[in-house]
Amino acid sequence: MVLLEGKNLNKCFNDKIGYTNALQDVSFTLSKGEVLGIVGESGSGKSTLLRVISGMIPPSSGSLYFKGEEYTGKKPRQTGEFLQVIFQNAKSSFDPRMTMEKAILENGRGKKDKDEILRLLELVGLEERQLSRRAGELSGGQCQRMSIARAFYSNAEILLCDEITSALDVSTQARVVELLQRLKSDGKLSAVFISHDIALVSMICDRIMVMKDGRCVEQGSTDEVIGNPKDEYTRLLIDSVKRQAI
Amino acid sequence: MKQRTLREKKLKKRIIVVSLLALLIILMTTFAGVIAPNDPYTTSASSIRMAPGAQYPFGTDNLGRCVFSRVLYGGRTTIAATFLLVFISFSIGTVIGMLCGYYGGILDQLLMRLADIMLAFPQMVVAIAVAGILNAGMSGAMVALGITMWVSFARLSRSHTFSIKKEAYIQAAFFAGKSDFYIIMVHVFPNLLAPVLTNALTQIGTTMIGLSGLSFLGLGVVPPKAEWGSMISEAKAYIQIAPWAVLFPALATIITIIVFNYLGDVVMDYMEV
Amino acid sequence: MAECLLDIKKLCTSYDESMVLKEIDLSVYKGEVLCIVGESGSGKSTLIKAICEDKSVRVNEGSVMFKGSHCGHKLLGSSIGLVQQNPEGAFNPLRSFDVQFAETLKSHKREPDKEKLAAIFSTLGLKDTDKLLKMRPYELSGGMNQRMAIAASLLLNPELLLCDEITSALDVSTAIAVVDELLRLRREFGVTIVFVTHNLGIAANIADRVAIMYQGKIVEIGDAKDVLTNPKHEYTKGLLRDVPRLKAM
Repeated sequence: MVLLEGKNLNKCFNDKIGYTNALQDVSFTLSKGEVLGIVGESGSGKSTLLRVISGMIPPSSGSLYFKGEEYTGKKPRQTGEFLQVIFQNAKSSFDPRMTMEKAILENGRGKKDKDEILRLLELVGLEERQLSRRAGELSGGQCQRMSIARAFYSNAEILLCDEITSALDVSTQARVVELLQRLKSDGKLSAVFISHDIALVSMICDRIMVMKDGRCVEQGSTDEVIGNPKDEYTRLLIDSVKRQAI
Repeated sequence: MKQRTLREKKLKKRIIVVSLLALLIILMTTFAGVIAPNDPYTTSASSIRMAPGAQYPFGTDNLGRCVFSRVLYGGRTTIAATFLLVFISFSIGTVIGMLCGYYGGILDQLLMRLADIMLAFPQMVVAIAVAGILNAGMSGAMVALGITMWVSFARLSRSHTFSIKKEAYIQAAFFAGKSDFYIIMVHVFPNLLAPVLTNALTQIGTTMIGLSGLSFLGLGVVPPKAEWGSMISEAKAYIQIAPWAVLFPALATIITIIVFNYLGDVVMDYMEV
Repeated sequence: MAECLLDIKKLCTSYDESMVLKEIDLSVYKGEVLCIVGESGSGKSTLIKAICEDKSVRVNEGSVMFKGSHCGHKLLGSSIGLVQQNPEGAFNPLRSFDVQFAETLKSHKREPDKEKLAAIFSTLGLKDTDKLLKMRPYELSGGMNQRMAIAASLLLNPELLLCDEITSALDVSTAIAVVDELLRLRREFGVTIVFVTHNLGIAANIADRVAIMYQGKIVEIGDAKDVLTNPKHEYTKGLLRDVPRLKAM
């Protein structure tokens, strides 16, 4: 079943510097239980794409669908019912004055279910005592787990992950990746995973979309894209990563 | 790390000492009725311009009223009015600032230009003009000062709201489906409270000078009522015969203003550490 | 063994209260590329600061010797070059490069040397030297600025180049290009490089020797191949396991 679909998305920014096409004719689909990876370097438009999909900014043209229903132009307040964003900097995605428990409850749209919170904490590998902490008292990795728990508590079906591990250390990143892999194999995860690291994306995602200068240069299953890249730029990315392999 | 905590401890100690002093001043004036040895309004022909002594610790004025009692009662007027004024400007300014910073747009432009206009005039000149037109005693003086005072609160809370609004946790609250009112009350207000409250503390001293100044000029409280500024103004005519009648209200003003200004300063330092 | 350029003996440093480096023993030999790898909080940046005698780092014990004498501010720039993570910080964004380069040379009482500069630029893969020099830092991308920062630190013929996370703010493909150019610089100018990074992949690419830092200590040091293929310390093993790898490779 197709959960999320974007058709011919365009986004232009018209600011003081001039006219920038941040997104040009990008289309994608996301099925249930699937993780779609979006890879690109800085300025490739991958973050703009995430902001468009999530409703933080409206697309200049093109349309977005959730389960076949169009939601183009809807704001985060409405899109939050079916999708949740995990931010790059987990710490700043929590109010510094709010305990984790309150922050998670806030995302329940009125629901108060302590048992579910405890279940989610166990799922992401945290303990109950951490619920009374504030963001400043937790490590970056713990905060990122918390924000995954918070996203799940909302009953949204889709996670949009924006460079969620790039602020973390290698070993912390590996633990978060393990968590995502586990969630995926349990069938609990339908997500769009954005990263600049094609190796990281290949470890988590079923399908990969490579972006450059606001365009999608290649899209396909992970094995296809990694094993047999068709585009010059994809090859360059893969080579750079291979060069860094040990 | 060590140096930081040491400095923090030092500042904490200072804050405690200064706030105790401030508390003492507030308590003394609040319980003026209990502490004051004489009635502040009873005139007595037999004890005109008496030097400080056992019955009148600060002496008496031209009408034989106890200066000590009048200083205590006058402090009550000044301090109560100051706190009320700061609180009202704080509330109005913060609400305006948060709305401007949060929504932006035309409302923001309009209100901030208005604030700029307010800032263009020297505060005391506006206050004198307005108080003169209103001619309504203490409440008139408060309105006169309040007209320019909300601006600093509005600007401060606006800029803080602006930066808070860019934080990811506000975005997260949007995705949680929270209303603007909820976000402002739960996420924005508590996070800008500390700096704005600090500003309120530093404003107390200036407001006191402003109120006493207006009273001194005869634009604040109406004479028989005790107030430091008006006491100084009344007694300055016979300063050579009875200097205590000027000295003590003046000292009380100076000490109170220093204490509150210093409190504001240390708290500000503490927030910065 | 080649001449020992930088010799660190039993170095212990602290920031105010907390110990950051614990008994660091490290020698850097002439002509080599030494990579110092560690995660955040491992003390790798503190080590660089200690070598530069940065005032925020207090040296409690031990010594840092450069060619047998104490190093410090006098040597910084002339004998030791330093390139930092954010190239923007190294330049005034509004002044053109040639002015800033000239000032650097002047403050070290050196004459401008066009040929040397051209040689550095061509090694770094920078074309149109004159045009580039007329440009200002804000007009260039992060990768180009990082190259300019490297060029600036090489102007004074340092024997030792300290690189503190210089690739971590760059895109993957740019990072690889910068690393390639650094290796070329070493070949052509014989400069010794100490390269600090959190990225084991980059280290594998560039290093002759690798030192792994963890909690203020060097837990493992040795030939790059040895350390990265046959790690002895548990921490290194974990680190190697956690590096993301391309699937199906």
